[in-house]
Amino acid sequence: MIQRYRASAGIMLTPAVTLIGIFILLPMLLTVWLSFQDWSTQTPFSSARFIGFDNFREIFGASSVGRDFKGALTNTAIYTAFSIILILPLSVAFGLMVYQHDVAGGTALRTVLFSTYMVPMIAVALVWSKLYSPSEGPLNQMLGLIGIGPQPFLSSPRSALVSIVLLNAWQQVGYFTVLAIAGLTQIPGSLYEAAKLDGANRFEQFRFITLPLMRRTLLFSAVIAIINAVQVFEPVALITQGGPVGSTNVLTYHIRRVGIERAQGGLGSAMAVTLMLSLIVVVCALFALANRKDQE
Amino acid sequence: MSGGSSSRLSRKHPSGRKAVLATLMLLVAVASAFPLVWMVLSSLKTPAESMQVPPVWIPHTPSLDAYEKVSGVVNVGRSMWNSLVIASITTAGILVTSMMAGYAFAKYRFPAKSLLFSLLIATMFLPPIVTLIPLYRLVGSIGLNASLAGIIVPNLANAFGIFLMRQFIAGVPDDLIDAARMDGASELLILFKIVAPSVAPAIAALALFAFVYHWNSYLWPLTVLQGNADAYPIVISLSRLLSYNRGAVNTGLVMAGATLAVLPPLILFVLLQRFFVDSIVGSAIKG
Repeated sequence: MIQRYRASAGIMLTPAVTLIGIFILLPMLLTVWLSFQDWSTQTPFSSARFIGFDNFREIFGASSVGRDFKGALTNTAIYTAFSIILILPLSVAFGLMVYQHDVAGGTALRTVLFSTYMVPMIAVALVWSKLYSPSEGPLNQMLGLIGIGPQPFLSSPRSALVSIVLLNAWQQVGYFTVLAIAGLTQIPGSLYEAAKLDGANRFEQFRFITLPLMRRTLLFSAVIAIINAVQVFEPVALITQGGPVGSTNVLTYHIRRVGIERAQGGLGSAMAVTLMLSLIVVVCALFALANRKDQE
Repeated sequence: MSGGSSSRLSRKHPSGRKAVLATLMLLVAVASAFPLVWMVLSSLKTPAESMQVPPVWIPHTPSLDAYEKVSGVVNVGRSMWNSLVIASITTAGILVTSMMAGYAFAKYRFPAKSLLFSLLIATMFLPPIVTLIPLYRLVGSIGLNASLAGIIVPNLANAFGIFLMRQFIAGVPDDLIDAARMDGASELLILFKIVAPSVAPAIAALALFAFVYHWNSYLWPLTVLQGNADAYPIVISLSRLLSYNRGAVNTGLVMAGATLAVLPPLILFVLLQRFFVDSIVGSAIKG
């Protein structure tokens, strides 16, 4: 019997494992291998020539290649930080609004918030580049109504990256709200009853029950938010093309430009490996921090 | 402390607290819905209305002219068809591969099972850009670039689907499966005739996720198609409209295009949002 199921397991696993092996795991290994090679994306893999750490020296060097890459790395770090600072607190606040029984309409609010997550980025880009338009854009018109002068949004290097964070947060916050609601449903109602008997007010209940018991959910949300943030591509490719003056040149956009459009496959792969390692370090640090808090 | 005083306030005026909460919820909903509502309203305006100062928020005489004009700029029919082909075939593939692998991980014992599972799950957290450059070359070398097949084939299996299916299939009683085995049913027959119907909601959720994700996906199609406009999905075709976004005269045209791209995924979501939400909640809690 066992033997028979071992054969069945092989059959069941072959399609998925073959596809993921060829189209995800193999390319991942190739990326690591290519990062040590001099290789043009327009030539076969066999034409790659081993050059040790030269690609890494160049992308962290003082040349324009190094400047652009370090700029993209910094932009992505800023972008990720802003996204998390904006999305996580909002997702908890919105989650609490949906998951309360005092006022009707929670489910409707969840539907509205989550529906933006279904919108393709091309539509987000088309709509928001119009909303942000300095002269006739509705956002500046509304700001004008409350006496705030026109903002440059996407056209100034100081505000372009944050403007992209805002449109992405608008699109994604509904997803994280649903995650937050999932976390809230895990908290036993009896804890709140006990806290009320002890005279805890709503703020204290939130501070000492909701927040600590949401830690696992928030950790999960933070990891997903980081992985989403380093993937930001479409709004940059569609609206700003990395500008003005490189202020929205983020890693996914930059790596594709170097590795595909300029066909510098070795350099692009070194950048991709750096991104992967940074991501691993950040996520591990996050888990370590969460574990230490758990032990306290 | 501010929390204390608001709580005291709430005990004295419970209806006051409710009014504040209701107002906040309404504000959030309006802010969230505003861009899409504005998009649809703008798509129904005439060019004259779009240019009016101060702005007209709601068109006086709604017109569908802008939607006709989109077809003059973008091959809407062809692109929508391409998107439909890409999203449907990819979804079908993901369903089959995920159910099979999910069943194996949920119900079989075999060597190195947890190692293999962890390896597959790890790919879920890998940003696509990390594999993009060699994947582009790889797909080119098997002759699939600049074609719909090049978009579809690399996406026929994914870790999220396997994970979701394993979670839900694990809950199917073993007795049900053993009974079918006694009757001599093959494992594939058991999976598709016995197991699949009992996890139908999860399959629906995965189908919707996969469809919307691949309808919306942009980076890989853009890269692999190398400018072959005949194979463009709608989300890439519509990027031509960005050049019409300077000045207000073409706002209607641009927003009509955006509305066309939004409609299919949004309609699916509205019809079946219960499955979406349940499966996210399921994957977050069980994960």
